[in-house]
Amino acid sequence: MTGMDAILHGGLQGYLVVALLLFAIGLAAVLLRRTLLMQFMGVELMLNAANVALLAFARFRGGDLQATVFYLFIIAVAACEAAVGLALIIGLYRHRDTTDSDRTASLKQ
Amino acid sequence: MFLAFALITLLGAFGMLLQKNIIVAGLFMVAAFFGVAGLFVLLANPVAAALQLIVYSGAIMVLVLFVIMMLSSHEEEAAEVGHPIQRWLSVLLALALAGGGVTLVLASKGVRQLAERGAAMPPAVTLQGVGAALFEGHVLGFEVAGLMLLAAMVGAVALTKRNL
Repeated sequence: MTGMDAILHGGLQGYLVVALLLFAIGLAAVLLRRTLLMQFMGVELMLNAANVALLAFARFRGGDLQATVFYLFIIAVAACEAAVGLALIIGLYRHRDTTDSDRTASLKQ
Repeated sequence: MFLAFALITLLGAFGMLLQKNIIVAGLFMVAAFFGVAGLFVLLANPVAAALQLIVYSGAIMVLVLFVIMMLSSHEEEAAEVGHPIQRWLSVLLALALAGGGVTLVLASKGVRQLAERGAAMPPAVTLQGVGAALFEGHVLGFEVAGLMLLAAMVGAVALTKRNL
């Protein structure tokens, strides 16, 4: 399986291409959208893209269990990040009455 | 099968990128997470797929949707100042990253060799195996992860509570 065939039928290259495109879309969401919540969702997308690549490599290396353990830790960190990030967004909204990242460019009131 | 799940993932993510309404964008995001879970099943990893559904589509997206509903406006606010040059630059950057990465992956000999060597489907990852690997080699990491979750919870409460 090479090239286009691997992409279409789920070779390693196919998963890596999906992970790369997912990462690019997440990056575009962080860069292009101004709402902090949308940027947060873009970060989650990029995290997921990394997970797809990690588990794809693990499967093609003969089903390595360590990758799933790592995935578990990544998910724990993602949950922490979600809780603290959303708390920050709520705190910001209380202070500034906006969730637009352009309007909150300075930390001073 | 692979193509279907890959399309669900990418179209969900792309819909999220283009959607103006944040709630609809969050639901597109859930679709993308479901697609990723399907990809994990195809990677012979049902444990990761279940975790993906429970933690991402379940916990994190519910949290995000809760926060969206707490905030009053669901539409993106009008731009204070437009940044047309930066916006085009960021589109270019994302496209260059995606295009460059895809060409690198397709041209790479190592990736092709790895794909050919590991083409045979490995046995599916079992919860028992993951648990054994976790507690044989990563007990300390597991405990630290628990402590970190506790710290994040306390931090989130401290940040959102008005007067402690």
